[in-house]
Amino acid sequence: MTLAAVLAALLALGVVARGVGFLPAMGCVDALAMLVSGQPPLAQGGAVLAVLLGVAPSLFLSRYQADTTPEGQQAALPPFLALGLMVLLLLAGSRVQAGQFPAGLCIGVAGLVSVACRRGMVWQWAGLLTCAQGVLLSAVMAQQVMAFVAGVLGGLVVLALGALCAHRVLPRRVRSQPRGKKAQ
Amino acid sequence: MRFEDFTVFLAALAFVWPFLGAVGVCLAPTERSRDVALWMAGLGCALAVAVFVFPATGGASAGWEDDPVQRAGRVMLALGLWVTVLEQGVFREKLLRSVPHVSTALAGLGCVAAQAAIGLGILFLAMAWGVFVFMRPAGQALAGWQIGRTAGVGLFLALAGLTLPPHGLTTGLVLACGLVIMTGLPPFCIPARDGVGALLLVPFAGAALLLAMRLRAYGGGGFEMALVVAGLVSVWTTACLPGKARTPEDRGRAFRGFPVALALMAVGVGADVAALLLLCGWCLAGGSRAGQGWAARALACFPPGAPFVGCLLMLSVLVDWSWELALLAIAGVLLGIARAWPDTSAHTMLGMGEQGLGFGDIWPDDRAGRLAFVVLAGMGFLVPLAMMLGAF
Repeated sequence: MTLAAVLAALLALGVVARGVGFLPAMGCVDALAMLVSGQPPLAQGGAVLAVLLGVAPSLFLSRYQADTTPEGQQAALPPFLALGLMVLLLLAGSRVQAGQFPAGLCIGVAGLVSVACRRGMVWQWAGLLTCAQGVLLSAVMAQQVMAFVAGVLGGLVVLALGALCAHRVLPRRVRSQPRGKKAQ
Repeated sequence: MRFEDFTVFLAALAFVWPFLGAVGVCLAPTERSRDVALWMAGLGCALAVAVFVFPATGGASAGWEDDPVQRAGRVMLALGLWVTVLEQGVFREKLLRSVPHVSTALAGLGCVAAQAAIGLGILFLAMAWGVFVFMRPAGQALAGWQIGRTAGVGLFLALAGLTLPPHGLTTGLVLACGLVIMTGLPPFCIPARDGVGALLLVPFAGAALLLAMRLRAYGGGGFEMALVVAGLVSVWTTACLPGKARTPEDRGRAFRGFPVALALMAVGVGADVAALLLLCGWCLAGGSRAGQGWAARALACFPPGAPFVGCLLMLSVLVDWSWELALLAIAGVLLGIARAWPDTSAHTMLGMGEQGLGFGDIWPDDRAGRLAFVVLAGMGFLVPLAMMLGAF
């Protein structure tokens, strides 16, 4: 268990609670966890992908207005649900793998909760990308090359499809007028 | 050319053929595209049957999974594509015409991949192509996104399960959750198979079932139990259909996941041939056909037909596995049929009412329905016969 892996799981909870704003930080910490826990070639590739999946959506969304889909009255429930599932996973994992923190799976579960419980498209996109990062971390820690390749493919597919959907759904951000210049 | 080389060539051609079909329907003029699609899908079926009869020897050593059940499953996927193309009208949009061909081709490739993780990666590509095409028309972006996010969650969960150590309880549960979501089984996910979504999701769910058969050895006991429980919950969800679902469409929709639920139970108890028969029902009567009377009867495992035989076969194996669960399954199936086919909708959905069941109510009106009906009835005899002759 590394501190970076635990922090990545906590930041995944942040994605569930607050949305895409936590994704870049989670991507960076996830990359750090891969570099600390994994073996060189796979870990380095995974780290690059984790940073890409974390940072690219925020950069892309900066050109669009915020997703204003209302979240309903149960908006506070998903983080607690994700946390509860993580604790259950830890309890189940501690019986078979003594002392090993299933960080990748915890991150994936948090992403799953975000996809299932949030209504906004951007929030769901962030959840799917969190799932992808969890799978990548899990594959790097378990040294499973084929699962890693499939996870990379899935992450890139979700990144592209989410960007396409956001481009179609969200209005573009209007550039502010320079001071002293009145609108015609 | 030696016979062994010929069988390998045949197998390779069977995998490539649906891609050629997709290219063909895209290049053909709009008014002729349906004819091209029919010919390509029909020849694809013939190739899949030929590969089943003359399997490529040494397939496992050459890097693909050469199991008779998987080969028969690919025949079902090809038949499903043929019926889908026969049922659909002419699509104006070129890329939309290619979706059933591409998704069937990638589903077949995903099931045959040497490692399940590669298969899941290939299914990601199928999902990407389908969702990209669905998103393109104006106002359809969110509908496409909904299909993509459900399939994506299932694929990521299944992949996460594959990164865990084999035979563990957590591994089995995560894998089973992923595959159940991939099949779109109610109530675990929102069914989105109406309209063009069925073009992608029918072969996609079929591939998930075929992959579940292969992953049983990896998932262990927890995986098997989770599949059986998921199927049972789905069957009982249909059985406990709320009273407010009064329209025939709602009731037809409730039965849409029935063969998938039973097929997942069959995979869980190790009855692969039963799962194959139920997969046949899903591919031929599922999707957008579920609203028609003959298809609803097939999905509800009414005799004659492959789902009925598959259901009986699955229950016979389930009795050996656990008689309590078998009792629950039988009760769920019977209660589901009794509750989801009330008198008000019987005329349209079941084709029976005060006048009784007539031949015209069972025999479909359209060509696609007749083909599906004949194939379903034929498979109900042929597959058990092949099993008794030792083909599986």
